[in-house]
Amino acid sequence: MFIEKNPHNIKAAELVVGIPSYNEAERISYPTAKASEGLIEYFGDKTSVIINCDNNSRDGTREAFMSTTTEVPKIYISTPPGIKGKGSNLRNLFKKSCDLGAEAIVVVDADLKSITPRWIKNLAGPVLEGFGFVAPLYVRHKYDGTITNNIAYPLTRSVYGRRVRQPIGGDFAFSGRVADIYLKQPDWSQAVAEYGIDIWMTTTAICHDIPICQSYMGRPKIHKPKDPGESLGPMFLQVVGTMFDMMIEHVAFWKEVKWSKPTAIFGFGLGEMEQPPPVNVNVERLYEKFQEGIARHEALIKDILSGNHHRKLTEVKTLTLRDFEFPANLWAGVLIDFGVAYKNSLKKKEKIMEGLIPLYYGRTCSFVIESEPMTIQQAEDFIEDQCSVFEHAKPYLLKRWFE
Amino acid sequence: MATEGFMKKILIVDDEEVIRLLYAEELEDEGYSVITADSGYGLIELIAREKPHLVVLDIKMAEHHGLDLLQDIRKEFYNIPVILCSAYSSFKGDLKSVAADYYVVKSADLTELKQKIKMALEGSIWHKPSTE
Repeated sequence: MFIEKNPHNIKAAELVVGIPSYNEAERISYPTAKASEGLIEYFGDKTSVIINCDNNSRDGTREAFMSTTTEVPKIYISTPPGIKGKGSNLRNLFKKSCDLGAEAIVVVDADLKSITPRWIKNLAGPVLEGFGFVAPLYVRHKYDGTITNNIAYPLTRSVYGRRVRQPIGGDFAFSGRVADIYLKQPDWSQAVAEYGIDIWMTTTAICHDIPICQSYMGRPKIHKPKDPGESLGPMFLQVVGTMFDMMIEHVAFWKEVKWSKPTAIFGFGLGEMEQPPPVNVNVERLYEKFQEGIARHEALIKDILSGNHHRKLTEVKTLTLRDFEFPANLWAGVLIDFGVAYKNSLKKKEKIMEGLIPLYYGRTCSFVIESEPMTIQQAEDFIEDQCSVFEHAKPYLLKRWFE
Repeated sequence: MATEGFMKKILIVDDEEVIRLLYAEELEDEGYSVITADSGYGLIELIAREKPHLVVLDIKMAEHHGLDLLQDIRKEFYNIPVILCSAYSSFKGDLKSVAADYYVVKSADLTELKQKIKMALEGSIWHKPSTE
């Protein structure tokens, strides 16, 4: 159910670019203009439309979007007043795209500052060549995307066996058939209606054996990066909660998975690699939040962790910031223990997730300290090593999950 | 170790004959069936015809670049396991290498290569069409 403004009365489109938003009046014109340029330059022979799927923003997002000069027609759709969340916006986009009979749907974030017309080509192109789901591949600063690096990527890779480097990248493409699959899914929680939507889309595609590829965007993702110690917000709870919910839902799929498989890669030949802007992290603050949080949730954490993992955590807790290290194998074990506790718990899921937050701060603090002298490429290798540790922890996941 | 009666077939693509012979002998001793190619010419057709279970691919070859060949392979054969095997570790920083199952730096000791072959073959078994 959505409110719609369709001044050109568009009834069909082969290509759709969707831009989800909430109060993005200052930023939405830029990705809108670039999307139009990309559609005209690379897909001029196809019918296309740009859709702003909004949360009934009151800051003038709709006016900013609709008044952006574009060759491609535009449609504005919005959730009714009171309904919020990126997932709610994308659900409206899935519905509208199916109504339009779209072959390919591209989604880009409304706050993107680095999008080029080529992003539209690189995201939509593989769908038109037969892939069902396209995830972005961009160079990010080693401290940008700490939920991705320490949870979403290694856990998705080890549990479901597909290496999707940016499973919550925010910029995706998928086929009309996949949009229809998304619409028909019954597991539409509140977390999925909000920030859980990105990991939900990626995981749903993997679990339906949709052909997946990753497409290199050429430029770094430049948006509003955040210091993970300062602004975790609801995103952590929604993303990780959705990951645990989906592990419960798709256990029949992932229990058979061993190791992991790569995906095809698109979008090369773009010349020199551009370096992403630096992201500053306050390590002292992460360390403090780790120590404060585990003291506050001590009983809960002890109840959830295996005896061995709790002993290891007790050792880690005694380390000073100068010597601090939260080993990857302990982190993998902690996530598994929390996933199992989440599955087995009927009532206090939010409380369980609150107990995981300080441990995430600890692992992130350790990651920042360990990768401090590393180049971006060395940090990538470090993340790959962490993924290998997660894959080797799979037998432990299976044992705990089914005991 | 490959199971008798169902030998896994491995294709080695390398422009150095010494490497092809060494890998073929060592991997056959492990119970694999091995075929070889000395360049990327006709590689896609060879894979289509011979249907190997896994490809071991050199990167720096006289007339072809393994990372470009990897792109060609992935376009035609979405799920075939490919292991990049190079004397140079520097290509690991090239995003194109992400499309490979594993990246192994060449060594006289083939333990790592054999381990990665085993993992890649195990990892490919599960990927069957969904019944959902």
